[in-house]
Amino acid sequence: MSETSRTLLPEGLRDVLPPDAGFESDVVERLKRQFAANGYALVQPPLVEFEDSLLSGVGTALSSRIFRMLDPVSHKTLGVRADITTQTARIAATRLAANPRPLRLGYAGQVLRVKGSQLEPERQFTQAGIELIGAESGAADVEVILVIAEALAALGVEGVSVDLALPTLVPAILAAQAPANTERLRAALDHKDVAEIKAAGGVAAATLTTLVEASGSYAEAAARISKLMLPPAAKAEWQKLVDVADAVRAAAPALTLTVDAVENRGFEYHTGITFSVFARNSQRELGRGGRYRLTHGHGGEAATGATLLVDALLSAVPRGQSAKRLFAPVATERAAILAWQEKGWCVVAGLAKTNEDKAEARRLECSHVLLGNEAKEI
Amino acid sequence: MTEQPLVIAVPKGRILGEALPIITAAGIVPEPAFGDEDSRALQFKTNHPNISLIRVRSFDVATFVAFGGAQLGIAGNDVLMEFDYSEIYAPLDLGIGKCRLSVAQSKDLGTTLDLSRLSHVRVATKYPSITSKWFADRGIQAECVKLNGAMELAPTLGLSPRIVDLVSSGATLKANGLVEVETITTITSRLIVNRTALKTRPEIGGWIEKFRAVVAAKAA
Repeated sequence: MSETSRTLLPEGLRDVLPPDAGFESDVVERLKRQFAANGYALVQPPLVEFEDSLLSGVGTALSSRIFRMLDPVSHKTLGVRADITTQTARIAATRLAANPRPLRLGYAGQVLRVKGSQLEPERQFTQAGIELIGAESGAADVEVILVIAEALAALGVEGVSVDLALPTLVPAILAAQAPANTERLRAALDHKDVAEIKAAGGVAAATLTTLVEASGSYAEAAARISKLMLPPAAKAEWQKLVDVADAVRAAAPALTLTVDAVENRGFEYHTGITFSVFARNSQRELGRGGRYRLTHGHGGEAATGATLLVDALLSAVPRGQSAKRLFAPVATERAAILAWQEKGWCVVAGLAKTNEDKAEARRLECSHVLLGNEAKEI
Repeated sequence: MTEQPLVIAVPKGRILGEALPIITAAGIVPEPAFGDEDSRALQFKTNHPNISLIRVRSFDVATFVAFGGAQLGIAGNDVLMEFDYSEIYAPLDLGIGKCRLSVAQSKDLGTTLDLSRLSHVRVATKYPSITSKWFADRGIQAECVKLNGAMELAPTLGLSPRIVDLVSSGATLKANGLVEVETITTITSRLIVNRTALKTRPEIGGWIEKFRAVVAAKAA
């Protein structure tokens, strides 16, 4: 193996180096603290599970995204998680089935998927999220949206906007007035391609076109869509979104709310209001979430949650001043080093005597050098 | 707060002449060099200090918009289908650049496409993804020879007996001894928009409305 090929990593995988790795870890810690402060207790599912359990219930939609391997011990197929929501749902429905509802769980960890997309080629990335299980009411949707928005605000992300969607709306409309080619129509809706929607939409074309054209700022969308003649089931779905959006607006007037009435991509296992999170200065979606049903075991249970994509988030979080790095020449007392660390410094201890401590400090990328009892800037 | 820059990607060549009047009617007037095909510049100013236009290949329009380098763009649905980028919305049919994407074959193969006995075809095209999907839907594996232009030469020079290409009048096909045997889809140019930009920048919805009004006025 040549020297260069030894450094080559498989597609979509990378080494995260200083200071980025430290920054990411810090962001994840702050998210976990924020979730915990709202009562979301941390769970830590394993990286790898039996394929059957990873893909059961809400995990079914992930089948094409997981890496599989054979377990030499059990001779069963194992899958590497591509999403932690589904694992958390499994825990809630099984091991924590007897815990009081609503159950609030949080998580953070790495996931792996078989294939990245052209825009997001990463195959391994960090997720951090919350799940609120056993609450049917819109108040749960409101809480999840607010907790996520507040967590982002606490990280210093500016211009956060939440895009509400309702994957159940279009099916409710189509159930009443189904056109011939739903597959073509779904593709047209996914791309908001109005020309294609008109061609493939049949009798629902006019309604669907209005839904697409009205998508945007919540206030305007609500005014236009509420006036539409919708089938009763669709009307009821839409009203749920309006109730949640109004409650979010009342609680967080500064948060930008938009509506996308026909979005359903990436919401494969969702059964109600969903949302995507964006920020003004970030070109990528920062996170997403929404309502789904736990289907493990008995009858099922209402749940809602959200996942933040930490990789996408990092570019939107302002980097604070990194801790000051102090070089402590060899033979500095350990107690002195601890005292400086107490004060929030990173202390790099010298291992051998050098001719000039200041030069050595500079070589080791320190901002200060300890001379006597004083930290001198270099 | 100063307004964020807004970049509109417009395809070179065929579509540009038809697109320019629509852009102007929507209230965006590019600097004179934009209409000059010989200009070496790639990015052009407009009468709005924060709006600029870029002139790129038609396939690259989609890529610039998908990655958020440009927020708006003009692209045919051939390009959109080929890439199938999830980050692009196409909220408005501009009704320009009309043509169709078709299968054509050497006239020695006859004037119809008989797929019943085929398990495999070789096709020269600029659209390998659309082509393989179209044939796969009919139970046939298509081996695509990717060309970037002059597809019509492929049958004559023995690269492949069939091609998938844009057809408007059909004159080029005829001149090269080819016949059009199936239409895959009709093509028009769409106004396209980056998904994140649409969600986070309210003024973009306003621009789409302006283009929509222009197209509606033209149709009336």
